[in-house]
Amino acid sequence: MNASPIILARGVSKRFGDFEALAALDLEVREGGCVGLLGPNGAGKSTFIGCLYGVVSRSGGELGVFGLDPSKDARGIKRRIGVVPQENALDEGLTVLENMRIYAGFGGLSRKQADPRIDELLAYMSLETKRDATIKTLSGGMKRRLAFVRALLADPELLILDEPTTGLDPSVRHLLWEKVIELRDQGKTILVTTHYMHEAEVLCDKIIILDHGRVVGTGAPRELIEREVPGFVGIFPHGVDEELRKHLPPEWELYHQGRQCCVRAPRFDDLLELQRASGHTALQLRPSNLEDVYLKLTGSELNEDE
Amino acid sequence: MNDVFLNLRLSWQVVVRNWTVYRKDFLANISPTLADPALILASLGMGLSGFVGQIDGMSYAQFLAPGMIATTALFTAFFESSYGFYVRMTFESVFKAMLTTPIGVNEVVTGEFMWVFVRAALMGLGVALVLLLLGLLPNPLALLICPLIAGFLSLPCAAIGLLASAWVRNINQFQTVYSFLIAPIFYLSGVFFPIPAGSVLAPVVQFSPFFHGVKLIQFSVWGHGGWNAILWHAGMLGGFTVLLCVLSYRFIGRKLTT
Repeated sequence: MNASPIILARGVSKRFGDFEALAALDLEVREGGCVGLLGPNGAGKSTFIGCLYGVVSRSGGELGVFGLDPSKDARGIKRRIGVVPQENALDEGLTVLENMRIYAGFGGLSRKQADPRIDELLAYMSLETKRDATIKTLSGGMKRRLAFVRALLADPELLILDEPTTGLDPSVRHLLWEKVIELRDQGKTILVTTHYMHEAEVLCDKIIILDHGRVVGTGAPRELIEREVPGFVGIFPHGVDEELRKHLPPEWELYHQGRQCCVRAPRFDDLLELQRASGHTALQLRPSNLEDVYLKLTGSELNEDE
Repeated sequence: MNDVFLNLRLSWQVVVRNWTVYRKDFLANISPTLADPALILASLGMGLSGFVGQIDGMSYAQFLAPGMIATTALFTAFFESSYGFYVRMTFESVFKAMLTTPIGVNEVVTGEFMWVFVRAALMGLGVALVLLLLGLLPNPLALLICPLIAGFLSLPCAAIGLLASAWVRNINQFQTVYSFLIAPIFYLSGVFFPIPAGSVLAPVVQFSPFFHGVKLIQFSVWGHGGWNAILWHAGMLGGFTVLLCVLSYRFIGRKLTT
């Protein structure tokens, strides 16, 4: 585990005119395992990913991927990564096989090496019956799975997934999760961006939360929850703040999410007691989760004082 | 040296990709580039021949003939690298996926140039064969030379298309580029009427790479042209090619990366 990290960013910044997309970003991704990059739209996730393989040139800081600098040796990096971009960008008029052959060629595979590899990966993603189908006849979920096949063609060491399951139905999402976990267990390093907190909890050993181009939280999902939002959350309907407040010990937190009023307490029984004392029944009582961490750290959780 | 070879091999993969897409709709793709010169030759060549009389001792159809090879090079290159490239870049996001592979921006642009070169050369050969059948190719050697000139002529034309792709803010603006740049280049090029040395147009057309390509193809088809003139036009064509290509690498580079 003391090998040098796969990704090492020290003070990485990126400006677009006056806008600071990345502000002195520090982060590390070590070999093996799955790292989740979370953050609101515009937090800098995609900009950072672009920096990793040289389509975004950073404005400052040190960045190494496999110890290589993307602004000097992007190709050396790109040989060893596979990317599932936000958009599938498949050639709609071509067949599955034609599409994959083209990308195998981009990855430097000869036709002889490419065809068995394509068949193997199509089977892995349960697309073997679609080998000769035109892309435009595939469903959204199939296209996404094909984008995974494409990313895996050159057997990458690092797999970058940019919002891999956005817009997909739950069954495809679960299938993709299963594949990502398998790939992780095979020893690949995976970097995934997502807006789904549950996805991040299922897949990731480590979470990095970005906001306004900075890292605002890092750790294992459990660790982050224990550290940032320990305990349990009761979600109450709108307009009961005053009632609840009367029964709230000072160390508990009361905050709003949208129109709902949330109370965080150390123990589950505390919340039951609060229901009894205030006479208001919660809409939901549950353990704190990653979404609470996310909302707290990205400032989307509005404090009562704000 | 190894790097250069690898770059070219990756650029060639871009050609393979474009060809794979192109051949899916082969007839629809190939017909306009052949139909345009055929229509010009048939309508103007036959329609005007009687009125125009002889130009430099040739019928009007004989005068028009070499320009058709140049025309196919211009339109193949410009439309492919403007509308074609722009659609790949924006609507199809082709490069977003491509640039995650070992292919870089320079290979993308080189690949586009190679693709246009090959297509223009083959289309040039096709048109030259038609001219041969119609008895409008007095110098049979032109069958070998013209496709090459068409290939080289397509490079600055493609560069103009790529620069337009980097410049336009939406696809409709290519119409402006066509009307105010490509159409004048095309009509004031020596394809339709000779531009003698002392004329008002003569100094202006020296700034058009297309004019120099037309001249070279005319020399080759008609089988005459002094070495001085050949060197001048080849030099000018080469100079514009280098300048415009260097600019397009730069501006497309800025467009595809941030």
